[in-house]
Amino acid sequence: MISSDVTVAFVSLFILFMVLGFYGKYWRRGDLNHVHEWSLAGRKLGTTLVFFLIGADLYTAYSFVAIPSGVFAKGSLYFFAIPYVMLTFAVALVAMPRLWSLARERGYITASDFVKDRFDSRTLAVMIAITGIVAELPYIALQIVGMQSVLTVMLAGTANGQVVEEISLLIAFIILAAFTYTSGLRGATLTAVFKDILIWITVLVVIIAVPISIGGFGHAFSQVKPNYVTLPSTLVPGYATLILGSALALYLYPHAINGVLSSESAQKLRKSTALLPLYGVGLAILALMGILVFAVPDAMSFLSGFPESSRGILVVPSLILYTMPGWFAGIALLGIFVGGLVPAAIMAMAQANLLTRNIIKEFRPNIKDSSEIRVTKISSTVFKFIALGFVFVVPATYAISLQLLGGILIAQILPAILFGLYIKSLKKTPLIVGLLVGIGSGIYMVEAANNFGTLTTSLFGTPFGSLYIAVISLAINLAISFGGSYIANKIHSSKTK
Amino acid sequence: MEMRVKTRYAVLALLILIPSFVNLGVPIYNRDSPELFGMPFFYWFQTLWLFASASFYVVFAHMRGKQHD
Repeated sequence: MISSDVTVAFVSLFILFMVLGFYGKYWRRGDLNHVHEWSLAGRKLGTTLVFFLIGADLYTAYSFVAIPSGVFAKGSLYFFAIPYVMLTFAVALVAMPRLWSLARERGYITASDFVKDRFDSRTLAVMIAITGIVAELPYIALQIVGMQSVLTVMLAGTANGQVVEEISLLIAFIILAAFTYTSGLRGATLTAVFKDILIWITVLVVIIAVPISIGGFGHAFSQVKPNYVTLPSTLVPGYATLILGSALALYLYPHAINGVLSSESAQKLRKSTALLPLYGVGLAILALMGILVFAVPDAMSFLSGFPESSRGILVVPSLILYTMPGWFAGIALLGIFVGGLVPAAIMAMAQANLLTRNIIKEFRPNIKDSSEIRVTKISSTVFKFIALGFVFVVPATYAISLQLLGGILIAQILPAILFGLYIKSLKKTPLIVGLLVGIGSGIYMVEAANNFGTLTTSLFGTPFGSLYIAVISLAINLAISFGGSYIANKIHSSKTK
Repeated sequence: MEMRVKTRYAVLALLILIPSFVNLGVPIYNRDSPELFGMPFFYWFQTLWLFASASFYVVFAHMRGKQHD
């Protein structure tokens, strides 16, 4: 059982969080009956706020749960998250301001808007919207798994812990749904700042206090196997391709593009993107907790009470609970809890935009502005509860594996979006075929690599070593997209001669 | 004038390529020593490299902002 200090700090900060979320409606007021006002905060966010908002996209339960959990279970391989975030900002720094400028000029709100306009293809735009929505679902589910892990640790030993946990999650989601409905991206941005303050306090305190209390990092590293200290040479190709594939994929997620487009100017977007690697420092500290925990006997014995498959996700909350004073643990645990909640809101909002603008509107073009915004708000609520239901039904570890699959899917829209920004010769039909083959081959390789069972790896054995599947299927996709466009252009030019 | 534009683009490209090359060049940092505060090189190097990357990117953003799109 935990001390009441933890609960008091946790609950009072949650109330503050809620107030901020609802207050968002009045902050930098705009007419929230317009889609771009609700979902892009009126495209008025400056350098600092875009920094926090995109930071919230990055600093999600993926950082608190999936990465430390991976480091804890498999060692140094999962530290790929650090170079991955560095590389992703290089990609973003070059490509995203261009997308931003086009979007401002032509009124795009989603990546699908761009694709439809650029390639004049409804099919491709709808396919890209569907890929975005599907890939985003397990990502939201992962956020909920992160929130769940906090509650599990806090409620361990309580009578009816499981029931209390599910009810608490449901309440948190109703509150979240209510304030996103009324405040839109403004509410999410304000709470993102709040969340980041808590998280930064947490990681900085933990990285100083824990190594001191356990007698230095060296002590933790001496407790673990060699594959936790450096990367075994067989995993080097996997590490490099995980960096590359994840870096290319991050900015293709609908919520990331949504964050980009809410910036006030291309230059402000560049400035905030340039500083975003600093966020990775917190991510690195969280990842290291997957190793530090080995030197904290109380936390290890607590974790041993859980089945091996679900220990990983509990690493960060239990490390905090067993090394920090109660009131501080309460603050930190709330930070992690809302660290799942805020991104979940941003992601569901991005999905809803795609659904209304790029799917429903395609088939019902006469929909009125007022109905469009209503459908967007309602579907963003529905998506949140779908993800919540998903988490109640499937085991937590499965949600993490599905997120791996989501990354492989989203990477397949890269040719149309990133190359579409620069290369004029790309044609829609090869892009459609490339996308389909990319997705098909990606799913097949994931299944084959996991022997058609539970998903535990996203690496596929090739003559060049085990590589991240997203990169392999993206290579196939690019070959088709470029090869096909080249042939199509040849045929076209010989016809016109 | 022509030359200066080219130099400028080359510098911009390098500001992106250098950090990317280091990030993807895993063998560069896949070693355990020298340690820092008991942390293997693999971990502390990548963490500190975040600051270096941010510096490259800030210079890029600054230079890029001065030219018209």
